[in-house]
Amino acid sequence: MSTSFDLEKYILAHAQDSQEWHLPFFNPIQLPAFLSLHGAMLILGAFILIVVFCFLYNKKQRVPRRFTNLLEVLIIYIRDEIAVKNLGEEDGRRMTPYFCTLFFFILTLNLLGVIPLFPTATANPNVTAALAFLTWCFMVLGSLYKNGLKGFRDALIPSGVPIPVLFVLVPIEIFGIFVKSCALMIRLFANMLAGHMVILCMIGLVILMGWVALPSMLVAVGISLMELFVAFLQAYIFTLLSAVFIGQMYHPNH
Amino acid sequence: MVESIHGSLAVLGIGLAVLGAGYGVGTIGAAALHGIARQPEAYNKIQTVMLIMATLVEGVALFGIVMCVIFVKS
Repeated sequence: MSTSFDLEKYILAHAQDSQEWHLPFFNPIQLPAFLSLHGAMLILGAFILIVVFCFLYNKKQRVPRRFTNLLEVLIIYIRDEIAVKNLGEEDGRRMTPYFCTLFFFILTLNLLGVIPLFPTATANPNVTAALAFLTWCFMVLGSLYKNGLKGFRDALIPSGVPIPVLFVLVPIEIFGIFVKSCALMIRLFANMLAGHMVILCMIGLVILMGWVALPSMLVAVGISLMELFVAFLQAYIFTLLSAVFIGQMYHPNH
Repeated sequence: MVESIHGSLAVLGIGLAVLGAGYGVGTIGAAALHGIARQPEAYNKIQTVMLIMATLVEGVALFGIVMCVIFVKS
């Protein structure tokens, strides 16, 4: 059909960051220089969270109903099953705001990406690296602050270990802290990017081959549904693994 | 048709990563089915654990795919 269709450029243009936002029937919206497309999505996600939690969450109800109840279910799940189970009673309750922020922010960004014309901020490795860096800060700096230098060393190295094993264990443990954070980053980034790339490839198939490839749009719809599921699941997994790793550093039970 | 795959052997890595992911998630599914067949009341618990494990295994496979895609592009 269109002779000069470059699939690679099409996919890259839709998956990467840029300074303009292309909407149909409008001129491309030029974003200001300090903001890029994914940055605008981050601000939009934060704005949605502020609106939902400050204005739509009704604190005056004694028994929560409707929308407040929905949010309460999620928040209580995060507090009881994710934070308190991995961090203990008092630390879990103190760290619940962090995990709630992480979960709802990642969920909002993922769900914004499922909407057809919106880009996905979490498909940008820089965004997920920043979120994983926050968890890394809690893991390293938080445990240094909480347990002190001795406690940090005890978290990495169990007592009663023969010296030859220490030569192998210490580098692995130190390396392991970085690997765990990088794993969090790459898992979220790759899952979100993969979903979008498959859908873009399906659409690109139709453009390349014409009307015979139209049944591939059914595949695209199926993948979109799976992407919705993956959005929730990846937000939950990021929060859960953050809690597990932070709990391992705060309360080592070697 | 051979001329269309050129420039990088990294595309082979993508296929191998997908192979590993398929085998891993299939094993998790099989173990989950065994557990549910033994004790149908535990369906919810087993399903939760199965989904979490599958996400972790797919994370590893996606590392490989992301690394290979970087090497294909450069």
